[in-house]
Amino acid sequence: MQLKIRNLSKLYGQFQALAGIDLDVGGEEFVCLLGPSGCGKTTLLRIIAGLEPFNGGTLELGGRDLAAVDAQHRGFGIVFQSYSLFPHMTVAENIGYGLKVRKVAPAEIAAKVAQLMDMVHLTPFAERHPWQLSGGQQQRVAIARALAVEPSLLLLDEPLSALDARVRAELRGEIREVQRRLGIPTIMVTHDQEEALTMADKVVCMNAGTIEQIGSPEDVYARPRTRFVADFVGTSNFLGPEAAARLGQVPGAGQGDARLLALRPEDVLLTPDPAGEGVVAGVTFLGNVNRVALDWHGAPLLVDAGRGQALRPGDRVALALVPGSGTWVSA
Amino acid sequence: MSAAVRPRLSGQARLLFWTSMLVPLAGLALFFLYPMAIVVRRSVTLGDGSLGLDNYIRILGQSHIWGVLGNSLVMSGLTTLICITLGFAIAYALQRTRMPLRWLVSLALVLPLLAPSLVQALGLIFLFGRNGLINQWTGWGIQIYGLPGLVISNTMYALPQAVMIIGAALRHSDTRQYDAARVLGASPWRRFVDITLPGARFGLLSAGFVSFTITITDFGNAAVVGGNYRVLATEIYAQVVGQMNFNMGAVIGIMLLIPTLLAVYLEKLASRREGASESAIPVQPDRAWKRDLVLGTLSQATALVVIAVVATVVFASFVRLWPYRLEMTFQNYNITQENGYKPLWTSLYASTLTAVIGTTLLFALTVAQRQLGRGMAKAVYLLAIVPVGVPGLVLGLSYVLAFNTRAIFPGMLYGTALLIALCNFYHYHSQGFLTMVTGIRTVPPALEETVTCMGGGPLRGLRDAVLPVMSPVLVTVFFFLFMRGMVTLSAVIFLISPTVSVGAVSVLRLDQAGYSTQAAAFSVCIMLVVLAALGLMRAILWLMSRRREVAAAA
Repeated sequence: MQLKIRNLSKLYGQFQALAGIDLDVGGEEFVCLLGPSGCGKTTLLRIIAGLEPFNGGTLELGGRDLAAVDAQHRGFGIVFQSYSLFPHMTVAENIGYGLKVRKVAPAEIAAKVAQLMDMVHLTPFAERHPWQLSGGQQQRVAIARALAVEPSLLLLDEPLSALDARVRAELRGEIREVQRRLGIPTIMVTHDQEEALTMADKVVCMNAGTIEQIGSPEDVYARPRTRFVADFVGTSNFLGPEAAARLGQVPGAGQGDARLLALRPEDVLLTPDPAGEGVVAGVTFLGNVNRVALDWHGAPLLVDAGRGQALRPGDRVALALVPGSGTWVSA
Repeated sequence: MSAAVRPRLSGQARLLFWTSMLVPLAGLALFFLYPMAIVVRRSVTLGDGSLGLDNYIRILGQSHIWGVLGNSLVMSGLTTLICITLGFAIAYALQRTRMPLRWLVSLALVLPLLAPSLVQALGLIFLFGRNGLINQWTGWGIQIYGLPGLVISNTMYALPQAVMIIGAALRHSDTRQYDAARVLGASPWRRFVDITLPGARFGLLSAGFVSFTITITDFGNAAVVGGNYRVLATEIYAQVVGQMNFNMGAVIGIMLLIPTLLAVYLEKLASRREGASESAIPVQPDRAWKRDLVLGTLSQATALVVIAVVATVVFASFVRLWPYRLEMTFQNYNITQENGYKPLWTSLYASTLTAVIGTTLLFALTVAQRQLGRGMAKAVYLLAIVPVGVPGLVLGLSYVLAFNTRAIFPGMLYGTALLIALCNFYHYHSQGFLTMVTGIRTVPPALEETVTCMGGGPLRGLRDAVLPVMSPVLVTVFFFLFMRGMVTLSAVIFLISPTVSVGAVSVLRLDQAGYSTQAAAFSVCIMLVVLAALGLMRAILWLMSRRREVAAAA
């Protein structure tokens, strides 16, 4: 079923939390709402869930107006950052909860719960209570609980943010796999760009209550449309038209007010050259690469250099661009 | 901008919301706001029925009222001073030192919660009264009636609360501040002056206000040991019950309201400025033998006195003729005066009503209040905590004025155990409400939202998300209201009738009629009931936490 959001807006008193939101989520898509805290991504998710009222625009699922349907009757699944398991129920009871609410026969519940526990690798923990589980296990239960009712839409509110790095990476893959297998359209809120890029079919970049760009992970990384997206997703250098011309880049026709060239640190190649235009100001070791801070015509520029390149502060370097790199963005 | 697009609540959700909102508010309106409005009106109603401030002018014109006001201020001021000094010493000893015999001090702090407020005075009289044991043995002829007796008994009454408040302030300080000061070279004394005292400042202020408020409005001790030293609390009773001068009583009631409301307001102001950080690492008690010896001795001596006074009452309840024939007997428990044990059963019944009605209404109000917008929620919150500023005596007086009328609703409630139960509930409304609010804040909102998103209605949300977290809080509030209902005297003293009376009033009446050992016996019965309730509460809470552990082990 297709979720269709048109011109949606939300006010908290005088504060415009969301404005002019247009978004489609369909088929078996995995959509990530990505943005810094306070950008309105969680508010949007809560409006979709029906937990929060909105002020203008429309919200439809499969042609049905959701404004008339309260959260209790939308039939969505939701997973919060805080796990939110019922502390007095076992793992199996938690997972079967939605089915019990729907008055499904106990035998049927047991079968469904068993199947889901198997899917999220929790079968040995069926009779445990939430506090006897690790954070990752608890979040698996919460996901299984949301999936048990075969929701028409799965909503994930920063589900991995409370977990440590290793478990987070493990669960990313698991969530994606289960979601693909069941084919449930999913919307996940996250502030972690890496999470969004690795998991999503479609990334929705949000800033200050509006959508800046919607696109595939490759799109938003390689072809950001605004300065905000280029800056928030990955690291970018921003060059004005004058500076860009020094590297042989001029804005194409019809790019309107696109005035800044966004350049990724890995888009620039350095060669040691005593007559070069760049002077190395500092080098930071990042593990796989060295990030070099350059002083280039009086402006700072970040460039990734391979580990083989031994550069020291004060060294002069010549700059070249990787062919096809750099994107003109609106300021 | 168009109005908010809000999905319509289901019929069940709306019914639940409005019921849980309106029933408690209607209760507050009828059994708190309405009687209070009547007090204000009666205080400006003159003998001929016209309105005016003449009552105030007449009262203030009487020279003796200034004396009474002065007496009240002196008594409560002295009590407050002692309470915060002693309270700070005891709280510090409990929190920061390795004092031995802590259980003794803890026991002494629990005792005043178990007994009607006049038990301290009763015990003092058994020891130091005209026929007091000490006076008989030593022949000193100590005069306990009046100011000394009032200050001592009220100090014992207010001290536990002072210790609790100051102790909470001490618990909130951060050990890292002390570590930082130590590294910078500050001596123990400097650390005490620069960190401990400033940290406890608002706690001390708050403890002072509370001590002042509860002693200036206390009736029980004043009636028993006050003697010729007249205070506002006894004056109001004399005006209303003695001289049937309701309008004058109302004026003094308003006068009692002013210092209390002021104290509550100042305390709120002070506590708002107190920014206790969540991540504070508590200070561990350490050993300093000179300090520990002084504070420990002081704390234990105070505890011994408090325990001795209450123990004296228990002892006296078994004595044939105090203090001349100290042989043991049960005859004091054969109480036939003042309706015998009937008031005790009425107390039990009324307190159970208070607890059941109170817990239900408070829970409903707390749940409904959460669904309101910020402004409305704040208004409801304020209304729910205003009763804390109204002394029991004034509330009781307001009930007489409001409900002692024609025998149709609401006047038909007058003289019933139900009205006594309601009066006690609204007397302790604020404390119960605050406990509920604190409890419901620990219910994770996401848990309820999960229930909703999974298709559960509001009743399911209450059952599966709210109640499992809230049940210990409900138990605590239930027993708090019950125990307060059993021992409170000041509000209900106006509400009893020849046929319907309560236990705490019986103690007072028996003592005033000269049957002091029977009064002691009756107090012991009340203490036993409250003690049993306390034990039951602990047992239930223990079972609740244990069920969790058993489930965990399975």
